[in-house]
Amino acid sequence: MTANRSLIESCIVLIIVSVITLIGNAVGFNNGIIESLPGMGILLLLCIAGVATNMFVFKKIPSVLFVITYGVIITLPTFPFAPAVNAYVSKVSFLALTTPILAYAGIAIGKDLATFKQSGWRIVVVSIFVMISTYVASAAIAQGVLKYMGDI
Amino acid sequence: MSDAVKNVKLHLVVLGLVVVSELIGIVAFKVGPGKLVLLPMLYAMFMGIFTGPKFTKIFKEKEMIQASTLVGLTLLLLMARYGTLVGPKFYEILKAGPALVLQEFGNIATLFIGIPIAIYLGLKREAVGAAHSIAREPNVALIGDIYGLDSAEGRGVMGVYICGTVFGTIFFGLLASFLAAFNIFHPYALAMASGVGSASMMTASIGSLSACYPEMAENIQAFGVASNTLSGLDGVYMSLILALPISNKLYAYLYKLKYKTSEVEA
Repeated sequence: MTANRSLIESCIVLIIVSVITLIGNAVGFNNGIIESLPGMGILLLLCIAGVATNMFVFKKIPSVLFVITYGVIITLPTFPFAPAVNAYVSKVSFLALTTPILAYAGIAIGKDLATFKQSGWRIVVVSIFVMISTYVASAAIAQGVLKYMGDI
Repeated sequence: MSDAVKNVKLHLVVLGLVVVSELIGIVAFKVGPGKLVLLPMLYAMFMGIFTGPKFTKIFKEKEMIQASTLVGLTLLLLMARYGTLVGPKFYEILKAGPALVLQEFGNIATLFIGIPIAIYLGLKREAVGAAHSIAREPNVALIGDIYGLDSAEGRGVMGVYICGTVFGTIFFGLLASFLAAFNIFHPYALAMASGVGSASMMTASIGSLSACYPEMAENIQAFGVASNTLSGLDGVYMSLILALPISNKLYAYLYKLKYKTSEVEA
């Protein structure tokens, strides 16, 4: 999937989505477009850096990993510009970023609606088990370790 | 993808959906002990579904495929934000203790239960996408990167992601209060487990726990947030290094068991 996607195309898509996010961020969360611009720019650069690393350096490792890792590094308390980066990025609401993604996803899902109808109820059953098993297993491990350490 | 990039109509409609969704804003209902929270992303998705040929006919089949090629890329911006949420708390999380770190392995348990159930129900490669993890944003992005969201794995992970988005908040709120009522687990253990999913699932689950144990509310919230942040950091690594390879092995094994033939020949 990544192979046939040129870096320039990826950048254009990311810029389009950034603009849509900026508008949504202004409408829904009252963060002005101008004041959110630097934060959005930082996120955009992180993504481009991640995509480029995947494309040119480590082709086998998904770009998501680089994007998250770079985001962590530039906001570590010990990173020199972290306070400034945090202040800018906090202007871009986390939830404002989710809305455009699901808008594209919603349009894309339309074509799978028939398939979803067919396997839909099965996915719902699997989802319920996924949620229960993850939660209960995590709680059980935490319980065991806390007991062992004598914290509870 | 170049066709998708140039489709101005597609981007303009998305912009429209986003603006309308954000104008409606966040709506919360009280349901039993939990809280049902409706977020703009949900409205955007539902309105998006109705743009298809089956409903309002704004988009044709070809344009829907174009849209799906863009989803993986749009997720990256959210992942960048995710990283910047974890960074500032990184050292606090390191101090937060072994329990917090080890409970993360509970996330892998889902595949041992989810994949057999999915295969039993007749799902094929969808099972791997659906049950390798709790299918939140980082997992969707990962599956999108590796298999593409158009693949069977992609459909699986999107299915569970959508179910989680629609029912997750209410489900986690109820699950937490249910388990709290049974007194099997210590509230702190439940609080740490609350961080497995999205921020909204965590909020719902922590909300119900805080209501059940008001005297421990502050610690419960601290553990929940730390655990959620930790999942945001290691979730992707854990899925890529452990959960996905194990899921694929388990899938191949169970497939052979059920259909008496190996996956490749089928």
